[in-house]
Amino acid sequence: MDFLNAIVALANFVLIPAMTYGSQLALGALGVTMIYGILRFSNFAHGDTMAFGTMVTILVTWLLQSWGVSLGPLPTALLAVPFGIAGTAALVLFTDRAVYRFYRGQKAKPIIFVMVSIGVMFIYNGLTRFVLGTDDIRFADGERFIISAGDFKRATGLSEGLGLKTTEVLTVVTAVIVVVALFRFLNHTRTGKSMRAYSDNEDLALLSGISPERVVVVTWIIVAGLITIAGVLYGLDKSYKPFTYFQLLLPIFAAAIVGGLGNPLGAIAGGFVIAFSEVGITYAWKKVLGYLLPDALAPDSLVQLLATEYKFAVSFMILVIVLLFKPTGLFKGKSV
Amino acid sequence: MSGDNPYQDDHGNHDASVTRQGGESSIDPTRVSGPVVEGAGGPFLIGDRMTGGYGKGPDILHDCTIAVEKGEIAVIVGPNGAGKSTAMKAVFGMLDVRTGSVRLDGRDITRLTPQDRVRMGMGFVPQTHNIFTSMTVEENLEMGAFIREDDYRGTIEQVYDLFPILGEKRRQPAGELSGGQRQQVAVGRALMTQPKVLMLDEPTAGVSPIVMDELFDRIIEVARRGISILMVEQNARQALEIADKGYVLVQGANAHTGTGKELLADPQVRRSFLGG
Repeated sequence: MDFLNAIVALANFVLIPAMTYGSQLALGALGVTMIYGILRFSNFAHGDTMAFGTMVTILVTWLLQSWGVSLGPLPTALLAVPFGIAGTAALVLFTDRAVYRFYRGQKAKPIIFVMVSIGVMFIYNGLTRFVLGTDDIRFADGERFIISAGDFKRATGLSEGLGLKTTEVLTVVTAVIVVVALFRFLNHTRTGKSMRAYSDNEDLALLSGISPERVVVVTWIIVAGLITIAGVLYGLDKSYKPFTYFQLLLPIFAAAIVGGLGNPLGAIAGGFVIAFSEVGITYAWKKVLGYLLPDALAPDSLVQLLATEYKFAVSFMILVIVLLFKPTGLFKGKSV
Repeated sequence: MSGDNPYQDDHGNHDASVTRQGGESSIDPTRVSGPVVEGAGGPFLIGDRMTGGYGKGPDILHDCTIAVEKGEIAVIVGPNGAGKSTAMKAVFGMLDVRTGSVRLDGRDITRLTPQDRVRMGMGFVPQTHNIFTSMTVEENLEMGAFIREDDYRGTIEQVYDLFPILGEKRRQPAGELSGGQRQQVAVGRALMTQPKVLMLDEPTAGVSPIVMDELFDRIIEVARRGISILMVEQNARQALEIADKGYVLVQGANAHTGTGKELLADPQVRRSFLGG
């Protein structure tokens, strides 16, 4: 019984939240890795683009709610996501046209693009705060739990409860669908293959008749889709706050680098590595250990390696360790 | 490359965790083609009295003429730094031809971009970075056929007929193949557009003599199918043996021109370039 309780507590406090968070990071990291692989720079505006996409989705959600539209047990925001993606795609394509294209024409070095993206980040940053303010916004509606902790306890008779939120299941399911669709696109369609070809060798792609500008446009649209979905899922699961989204940049970059920059498979793996480490290291293990260990050995302290306030340190530590010992990442990326 | 444009200065950054190195473009993708002028006949493909260089740099070619007839093999040879590759790139539109012209099939294409010349029926195999290393052999061929709207399965089979080893390794990433096999992928990729002219920049660089002989055999076979070949070669003697036409360049200008046999027999060419 104690063993079962330990498993349930572990699932409730570590496995399920980390799985959810990992899926969100993976989607974000896929966007970073695609821009790195195809446009050749790390996009620092990523977190704020994510905030923008979520902001548009929230505005449309409110509009839909005011019309009385709902999805029953599912959050209304799901209906608003396509609008969020469209809005974000419009924004990034406008930015590309107005800003990045100039530097492409100049054949600017990638480091110049990195700096430019920091400028873009500040503009987006102001834009989202100007429209929705800086406060926490919760926009999840519909059924909150699929299984609530109380129901679980009553049904199983265990002393530990297992809560499964709608948004958690939604996140994992959506992430799987998006990732499968993305990989099919990259590996089996003409446009997807042409993007990989461009990423591999720009000159040869050009000589093969692949239009660089078209590849760039398609990349931005896909990235807009990926991060809007990631941002909305994160916002539904937790809450929307521009500063939190900006801070997500670190774990997202860490995930992309740990997995191997430029490698989509790596981005997914990296997302889960970061998420499980972050949740695992900031979780107080006292309860789980209390169930598993004999009474004499049961810990008195919380057995929490780091307070949750320091969770970003985990991403940093993993980043440093990976760059020191395996700079190409787990899946042979290009960040040597 | 850098110099006067501040955007092309990376300020000493070598951090690959924020910027990706390798595979960047060297051809300006924003350039737009000028008009094609219908003109007089002459050889099938000719770079006629070309003078020019890269960007704003000095002239590398001086009044240089390179021509190839239909179904023939023309070879450009010469000492290091003679401008052999440059001459071929000039014919392909990869540098500024300031005076002179390039004509294909009786049309003046001097102002076309390289990518538009591919659509006109010119295939180009660069000396290095000439395959998509992360993609499979078959995907390389598919990308070669990117501009084709019709069914190109037949052309892929033709390439596999020409290079059987590629058929066996069609699912392997091209970057994992040996040097000679990579060159075959590169030639195969260029053949996918069904070009009228195939331009090869040192196809045998860095391969063993046995592989070199085999590559030359394949190139002769391609020419027999009616495709003109223009080739730059380091291995001058072997290349001239298979050439219908040979051009010896020295310092960006024509030094000797003739059929392959004539040049091989020419005592001055032998002494200066073929080692006696």
